[in-house]
Amino acid sequence: MNIRKLAWKNLFRRKSRAVFTGLGIFLGIGTFVAISSITMRMEGAVRDKLDKFGANILVTPRTEQLSLGFGDISLGGTQVAHARLTGEDERSIRSIALSDRLRMVVPYFLTAADTSGKNLVWMGIRPKDIVESRPWWKVQGAELSAPGEILLGSEAAVALDKGPGGTVESGGKTFRVAGVLQPTGEKEDGMIIAGLDDVRLLAGSPDGVTFFEVAALCKDCPVEGIVAEIGTKLPGAKVSAIRSVVESRKAAVDQFRRLGFGVSAIVLTIGGLMVFVTIMGNVQERTREIGILRAVGFRKRSIRALLFWETGWIALAASVSGGILGSVAAFAGAPLFGAERGRIEVLPILVGTAIGLALGLLGTLPPSRRAAALSPTEAIRSL
Amino acid sequence: MSFITLENVSMTYGSNGTRTTALSGVSLSIGEGEYAVITGESGSGKSTLLCLLGGLQLPTEGRISISGTDLSTFSADNLAGFRGRTIGFVFQAYHLLPYLTARENVMVPMAIDKKSSREKIERAYTLLESVGLSGKEERLPSQLSGGECQRVAIARALVHDPPILLADEPTGNLDSATGDQILDLFSKLHGAGKTILMVTHNRWNIERGTRSVLLRDGRIAEDNPLRPVHRASRPAVPAQAGG
Repeated sequence: MNIRKLAWKNLFRRKSRAVFTGLGIFLGIGTFVAISSITMRMEGAVRDKLDKFGANILVTPRTEQLSLGFGDISLGGTQVAHARLTGEDERSIRSIALSDRLRMVVPYFLTAADTSGKNLVWMGIRPKDIVESRPWWKVQGAELSAPGEILLGSEAAVALDKGPGGTVESGGKTFRVAGVLQPTGEKEDGMIIAGLDDVRLLAGSPDGVTFFEVAALCKDCPVEGIVAEIGTKLPGAKVSAIRSVVESRKAAVDQFRRLGFGVSAIVLTIGGLMVFVTIMGNVQERTREIGILRAVGFRKRSIRALLFWETGWIALAASVSGGILGSVAAFAGAPLFGAERGRIEVLPILVGTAIGLALGLLGTLPPSRRAAALSPTEAIRSL
Repeated sequence: MSFITLENVSMTYGSNGTRTTALSGVSLSIGEGEYAVITGESGSGKSTLLCLLGGLQLPTEGRISISGTDLSTFSADNLAGFRGRTIGFVFQAYHLLPYLTARENVMVPMAIDKKSSREKIERAYTLLESVGLSGKEERLPSQLSGGECQRVAIARALVHDPPILLADEPTGNLDSATGDQILDLFSKLHGAGKTILMVTHNRWNIERGTRSVLLRDGRIAEDNPLRPVHRASRPAVPAQAGG
């Protein structure tokens, strides 16, 4: 027999009270763990999507705005590039120290060319890069597979009045329309997409690159570090991280997290108050028992320890079971919040258990002090 | 030689408006191995005296010392430790914890001791055997008779082998035959050298002691030595509680 065992025995004496004491913690930790797990899954989903879809770094030639005019007459302005990008720059990008974090480096070449009587923009891209860099493209017809084949943006197809299997003329060459892109709402709707080398030849720039899209693996990736390294390798280039999408999605997740933690905090506060009220009532009910223990030599700290052990057992059981329930709820409910089911997150359970235990013990602090302060004579009224 | 000494002890409850004096200027000296029986009407101050003697509270005036140690020098926690080692309590209503077995109840005072579980269990078995409860160690209080519960309470009081036993109407809830058995147990413990202070209303219990102290209105009205009678012959009283 020791204090721990004495506390354990007392729990089974008042099962319903023990359950009620733990209920607040159980619900609070359940909510906390469910929200934490779902938030983690959502953050993971955002990162996965960023990794899967598109680039997060853009490399373009550094340009300067040049004003043109004569005297007071303004002729507008033009952008002047300091240096042009070439195919050689792709090797420089891939040689950075953080190259293991690069998922893809895709060169693009843009040019305007007369196409069957219409002046349209051509986008050159290696056919093999399309799947990874533009996974949202949906093609009616076939993908690019050979030189001389093109894809038409939806608006370009209307302008040229061409569809899959048709042909267009440009630069004295005939190109076969392999497919037509479904509308994307982006600029490529009005473009002609062709193999990188075809477009370079069309523009007479066999090694030219208009810009690079770089996709870094973004789970905890140091995008800023990668941007800086590429900037060092390509001093004539402007390297910028595409942040808007990341930040808007993160903002949504953060908002959800704040709301969730707010709800958890309210439930946990109620849980803490439930512990406080029930343990205070428990002390009141057990005044005589506490008096007996004091009479047989229990010190104040022994009484406090007894109550802390009792609540500790309850809080531990409630936290662990609440954590498991929260995890299962998160696992089942993750798809409702746009996250994949994935696996059970252990970290929220551990953190939740620690919070639940702390909360239980915190709620016991005032009642335990009150119990310890009880005079043995007041406690044993029959004496 | 004086073992327990009360010097001009007074005990007042309440604040200015509602002051109640439970004990007033009580001086008493009890020698080691004495068996003092404290009697008195309700409200005479018996309970207060027992609380003070047991170190459950400290007097508002005067000084109490046990074995030469002034109780007022202790902090509340140290007093609890002293109490645990020096004084065993036996209550009228047994005050056993209902969710613990007889053995576990006896082990309760040892819950704060740094002894091995095996030592504690052995001690509990030995004590229960000494009070005649062999074979009933694993019964809950609800499965024991009143007399058996009181025996468990006595065994619990003896856990730390205290030199002093304080008993508050230990036979108050028992029929006369069972009460006699409990008193026999006290006589046996007295014979083994324990100092016993017993509060009682029952005049037959007085005869078991070596000294009778009568309290009246918070003061000692009589203090007489007695010749102990180990088996008082008293008229049969119908049983009030199971024994």
